[in-house]
Amino acid sequence: MVIKVEPRRGRIIIHLFDKWRLEWTVEPRYWRNPLIAAILWICLPSLIPFMPRGLPVGPTTILSSLFMANVVAISAIAHSLQTIGTGRVNFGPHFFVVVGGYVAALLNKNYGLSPALTFLAAFALTALVGLALSPLTIISRGIYFTLITMILPLILYELVFWRVDIFGAETGIPGISRLVYTGDIMNDYVMCLYLSLAITLVLLFIVDRILRSRWGFMFGVINEDEDVASSFGIETKKLKVTVFTLTCGVMGISGWLIAHYYGSFAGTVWLEPWLLIFILLSGVLGGKAAIYGSVLGSYFVVLTRDLLRPFVGEVALLALYVVLLAALYLLPEGLWGIYRKTRYREYMPTIRVRRRA
Amino acid sequence: MLQVSNLVKRFGGIVAVNDVSVKIDRGEVVGLIGPNGSGKTTLINLISGFYKPDSGRIVFEGIDITKKDPDERVKLGIARTFQVPRLISNMTALQNLTYAVVGSRRFKEKKMTLSEAAMEALYYLDIVGLLRKRDLLCMDLPLYELRLLELARALATSPKLIMVDEVMAGLNPVEADNVVKLVQRLREEFKLTIIWVEHVLRIIMRSVERVLVMNEGKLIADGTPREVSRDATVIKAYVGEEVAV
Repeated sequence: MVIKVEPRRGRIIIHLFDKWRLEWTVEPRYWRNPLIAAILWICLPSLIPFMPRGLPVGPTTILSSLFMANVVAISAIAHSLQTIGTGRVNFGPHFFVVVGGYVAALLNKNYGLSPALTFLAAFALTALVGLALSPLTIISRGIYFTLITMILPLILYELVFWRVDIFGAETGIPGISRLVYTGDIMNDYVMCLYLSLAITLVLLFIVDRILRSRWGFMFGVINEDEDVASSFGIETKKLKVTVFTLTCGVMGISGWLIAHYYGSFAGTVWLEPWLLIFILLSGVLGGKAAIYGSVLGSYFVVLTRDLLRPFVGEVALLALYVVLLAALYLLPEGLWGIYRKTRYREYMPTIRVRRRA
Repeated sequence: MLQVSNLVKRFGGIVAVNDVSVKIDRGEVVGLIGPNGSGKTTLINLISGFYKPDSGRIVFEGIDITKKDPDERVKLGIARTFQVPRLISNMTALQNLTYAVVGSRRFKEKKMTLSEAAMEALYYLDIVGLLRKRDLLCMDLPLYELRLLELARALATSPKLIMVDEVMAGLNPVEADNVVKLVQRLREEFKLTIIWVEHVLRIIMRSVERVLVMNEGKLIADGTPREVSRDATVIKAYVGEEVAV
């Protein structure tokens, strides 16, 4: 028999081809919740095109919102890792998103590079910009680092208007190759969503592995106290530069997705503070530097905004901020905190990077 | 082992360490004393790399470490404890020591896994008598145990030279005696060289072989405890000049 199900006391054993054995514990606290979440996360978008018509929110709006949520989640995960690894809060993540977007747009438009190649270029060149700026993590900390990173998007904003011939100012760069083009708009939406989902999942997996490794262990100490980390013998400078550079590159991937999804890229739209607030809030609302929380936070922030729009119209953004303020007030440990509280206490090698309230 | 030459460190107009030169041999236990603000901790910060000197040179085992970062110095074998224990308060005693093992040069050399690092951390916890407190968060430990944990952390980096900064501060006499015995035991077991900064003169005078005295950033005396305790400059620095009333 191909599949044989063997119920046992407290667990179910599934035998596949008499070769593989899958054991499932019935008691919920032993469930492999991340696996269930990943399966649901992957399956649900495929059902959206079949949702009933006539609802206030259509399937394309939801697909588009979920895509945007993934774009914000990618930056928010990278931002969370950056915050943990450098012990500093970057207030210019949208700067790196826009750099990635422009790299993809310019290389595609001017040199005809395919989206696959612009993906690599967006990551590499944004990481290079990150590397050039990484000494900031060594020479500045606290409010100074925050202020410096806050200025970066403003500089780029001015640059975009100064070199209209290159960046196109408010009009942006049109005519960029689409990520997917099948002729069926619904198919395109679903495929783009799955692509962004795949990137988010892979990133989540990599970051999770990093945080559970010795590197994550060291990031945890840097996040708590850099001087103590040095006295432990941890190479703080090297680690901070590495994590800053790579996470900036990842933020560039968000820009790449945006550029190829919309087929045009106007940096001025994405350099506005709302994207910064979305990325920061995703991390904070999700659960203060918890990477899974960043994903939850991104979905919460983007979906709340888009789903509120049909009901409250023009004041959707205002309504969103009110909801977010209420959520921040009512959930001091974030959305991820609700889940964490129900779980058993985890010992080594899980690290706690959350600061005391 | 350690050669400090003409070290100067200024903070604005204040010269915290003024032209200090010291030589410390392998296996020595050297006491570093002086009144408040005399520059003891600044000197420790300079040797451990937390401050960079304005001028002067620090050589450790023939290597010029003047411009090296603290983590590089730890890997060369220089460890320290802090006046106010600085550990990761949100993490357990075991996690704190595991970090130190992960940061040590041995971790890379032996290609250890995290579990092996944790096992080694347990060994150091046992040495200082904190094995049963391994799963307690540092924020829940009393000062005495935090001091022991800091010593264990310094040991976990496999040091050759340990700088102990006012380890007695805030401890009662029994706890202080225990720490003295522990430091002496560690020195013998691990063949350590120790620079011991202390305020409690009674303890330091009977625990070290050589005493350095600092005042207003300068080294004013260097000798055995007996010699130093009779030195007129030292007495003047601690007690002050006699004033006719």
